[in-house]
Amino acid sequence: MMKNPYIPYEVNILDAWYEAPGERCIKTFKVSFADEKVWDTWSHLPGQCAMVGIPGVGESMFCISSSPTEKGYLRFSIMKAGKNTASLHELEAGDSFFIRGPLGNNFPMEEWKGKNIVTIGGGIGQAPLRPVIQWVRDNRGDYGELELVYGARTSQDHCFKAEFEEINQAGDCACHLSIDVEEEEWPHFVGFVPSLLMEVAPKPDNAIAVTCGPPVMINFVLQNLEKLGFAPEQVYTTLENRMKCGIGKCGRCNVGHLYVCKDGPVFSYAQLKEIPEAFA
Amino acid sequence: MVDVNKLRETAKEVISREDVRELIGYRPGTYGFRARPAFVMGPDEAGELIFTPACVNNLASYIVLEEKLPVKRGEEPDLRKVAVMVKGCDSRALVQQMEEKAYERDRILVLGIPCTGVVDMAKVEARFPNILELGEIALEGDRFVLSFNGTKEEVAKEELLADKCKRCRYPTPLVYDELLDSEVERFADDDYSDVEEMEKRAAEDKWAYWEEKFSRCIRCYSCRNVCPMCYCEDCVLDRLQPQWMRRSVDISENTAYHISRAYHLAGRCIQCGECQRVCPVDIPLMELNRKFYKDVEELYDYEPGTNVENPPLLSTFKVEDREDFIM
Amino acid sequence: MAVQKLSKDKVAEALGELCKFRLIAPAKSDDVVVFKRIDDPAEAYLEYGNSTIPPKKFAFPQTETLFRFIKGSPELTEANVEEEGTTVIFGLRPCDARAMAIVDKLFAWDYDDPYYLKRRELTTLVGMACIEPPSVNCFCTSLGGSPFGTEGLDILLTDMGDYYLVQAFTDKGKKLEKTLSSQLEDGSAGDEKKAKEMALASEGKIRRSIDTDGVPEKLPDLWDNELWQKVSAACLGCGICTFLCPTCHCFDIQDEVEEGEGRRCRMWDSCMFSEYTVHASGHNPRPTRKERTRNRVNHKYSYYPGRFDVIACVGCGRCINLCPVNIDILDILEQVVDA
Repeated sequence: MMKNPYIPYEVNILDAWYEAPGERCIKTFKVSFADEKVWDTWSHLPGQCAMVGIPGVGESMFCISSSPTEKGYLRFSIMKAGKNTASLHELEAGDSFFIRGPLGNNFPMEEWKGKNIVTIGGGIGQAPLRPVIQWVRDNRGDYGELELVYGARTSQDHCFKAEFEEINQAGDCACHLSIDVEEEEWPHFVGFVPSLLMEVAPKPDNAIAVTCGPPVMINFVLQNLEKLGFAPEQVYTTLENRMKCGIGKCGRCNVGHLYVCKDGPVFSYAQLKEIPEAFA
Repeated sequence: MVDVNKLRETAKEVISREDVRELIGYRPGTYGFRARPAFVMGPDEAGELIFTPACVNNLASYIVLEEKLPVKRGEEPDLRKVAVMVKGCDSRALVQQMEEKAYERDRILVLGIPCTGVVDMAKVEARFPNILELGEIALEGDRFVLSFNGTKEEVAKEELLADKCKRCRYPTPLVYDELLDSEVERFADDDYSDVEEMEKRAAEDKWAYWEEKFSRCIRCYSCRNVCPMCYCEDCVLDRLQPQWMRRSVDISENTAYHISRAYHLAGRCIQCGECQRVCPVDIPLMELNRKFYKDVEELYDYEPGTNVENPPLLSTFKVEDREDFIM
Repeated sequence: MAVQKLSKDKVAEALGELCKFRLIAPAKSDDVVVFKRIDDPAEAYLEYGNSTIPPKKFAFPQTETLFRFIKGSPELTEANVEEEGTTVIFGLRPCDARAMAIVDKLFAWDYDDPYYLKRRELTTLVGMACIEPPSVNCFCTSLGGSPFGTEGLDILLTDMGDYYLVQAFTDKGKKLEKTLSSQLEDGSAGDEKKAKEMALASEGKIRRSIDTDGVPEKLPDLWDNELWQKVSAACLGCGICTFLCPTCHCFDIQDEVEEGEGRRCRMWDSCMFSEYTVHASGHNPRPTRKERTRNRVNHKYSYYPGRFDVIACVGCGRCINLCPVNIDILDILEQVVDA
């Protein structure tokens, strides 16, 4: 582990591209440590996060959107929202920024072995689900069926488009896509993600559902999963809150007695049901 | 003195009105001589209201302090009035808020308290320390009578009176819907002798003085939050982008904070003294505010919070405005 | 080593001896008592009740640098707490020392906070027993503390009239006793016995109390109780109750750059401030003072004991004494108990 958890590592941007356009555009960065030796001690699991930033600007918490099975780089997909993300968006391949991590807990990939997994994502909420998908695909024999449900406002807003196409073609898992409003030549579902979920109607037997997206979507997805027969223990999501330290000291990110930065960001619905503040 | 029964009766009538949502007044505190704000939501709660010289808080702050949640779909915004008890000084905060168009007059219902002066609670507690059981303070003539633990003590008014009351020009509220007692004649005036004292000091002296005071500041922002005139929705101090003021606490940022604060209150401070009262490290903020107050009165013949019809001083320009002091 | 005593006419000399360290002691400016760095024994003001601001800032400064950098350069230079040197906090109250022991748990939880822990390692705490409870709102005995409590302290001084009884409990304390060997003299067993009686007498004078049994477990069940609206209605949303709290430890992290030279620093933050939890999107999960007050009380009296087995409040009474609108934690807790 890091000696001083407040000191970040420099990472070089290997590649950077836009996932989605607009005022709140999303940019993906593929990075590697400036000091190669960091790789020797670095190890993360799907769901874990890092504080990402630029000295002089600030830091914000983002999930690591690559799976540890992808070697030699880390990925972050970042939506432009505030000061720090705006500065990060100005960076291109060849530039560098700083990260601290890995932080927080992870999806219990070990526990999920042998189970069917369905991911339900909306917009940038696919970022923490991506490493789960990648992990399962890279350890295909360890898991049952993998099913992907994903939607965004428009086809333009879809993140990881090329990867969804690649997954579709590989045919090793079912991939269900949606957009909120009708578009010409859109071959897939039109409507909100929770409706698509009901359409897909994954079976709860021996299954795990993982969801992430805008709070409204998560709320309806959770309700719909319940209707589909998923028990709260079978449903996982990730939370976010304003964070500063990322290591459970600075106090601000708690929902009830849990620190999102340290006890989370991954929680089962069974855990969150007990905490009224979780969905505030 | 306000008759407590009349106060409670009036409050009961007011809070029973369909167009009144809540009534902000005073109730006994949790220990000693303290009184605290009361938020009366129904007629059965009016019975706890009091008004005594221990009722130091300026309740006008609460009119602008409310944090409104977005109205839920299908629900109507609550447009009922807020009723508020105000002393003379506090009423000027309401007037100034309305001069600045913070809200319309019909949003509030004002219960005016002609005020004969409140205590400086720090002086009371220094004189009578460690009183836990609830005590009472009343003004009888020129003496405060303090009843506690079954005994009564009398102290000359002058000794416990809050400084602001010693120079109060407006003991009777300047705006009210109902006055809870007969008007109080002005019993003091402001000669600005304290400000003149400060003005006479050499610049280095003044700087040394304020440097020591500001270095104590912990930036708890109680002075800002308690101020009835500090009600910007997006305070320049909280802004992170652009960040006008750093959050680090040191003499430089603290000084910038207090100077900004004082300037933002120039021509607006109504001298309720709440900022100085609440400061946990005793920074004499009113000395800054009063300097501006005096300048504004001398330069523009203007007193903030005295007439709802007045346009706010710093947003008006008159050709004859003095400008010889502008560098 | 027998129990020691420090004659009052040797106090200045002892403080002078301690000035070779970074000596922190209570000092008075106007009517405000705060702990500060002392270079001259005459500055120390030992006849005080309790300080307005707790001495926590000497372990957890209100603003501190985490690292420095030159804008655009990848070199980050970690702040060196070691440079601050050996520190003695002299004359703090037992409640404030106990608060440090409580906060230590958080800063050593899972991730060591190197800045805080290094400072604690470098610091010796010399406490001053409360012969009388300093405030009418003291309630340390309700939380497992005492006016003569020793938790967190390396040395406890007890004012015996002409001299202080000096009791050292830790290696650090004993080491400091050695430093002061020219000023200290042997005390007697009778002194210790007398101090015990004085402790009982002082405890007996604590006027306020709360039975915290069951409160940590009960609080989460009262989430939607109307009491939160009532107790927070008068709240101004200022930082007095948190900044003056010896156990409050929340902080913000900010970057500051001036002419290309920058630092990342942290500074006290308050859960009572509205921007404390506001997201970059503008969404605020704790939109009003009601939610913020509820969080403050839950954090101290439920979340913290749930994780660290101790309530994050020592009953110093500062938040009660200095709240501008008389919001009283004991009044809130009584309502919690009665709800």
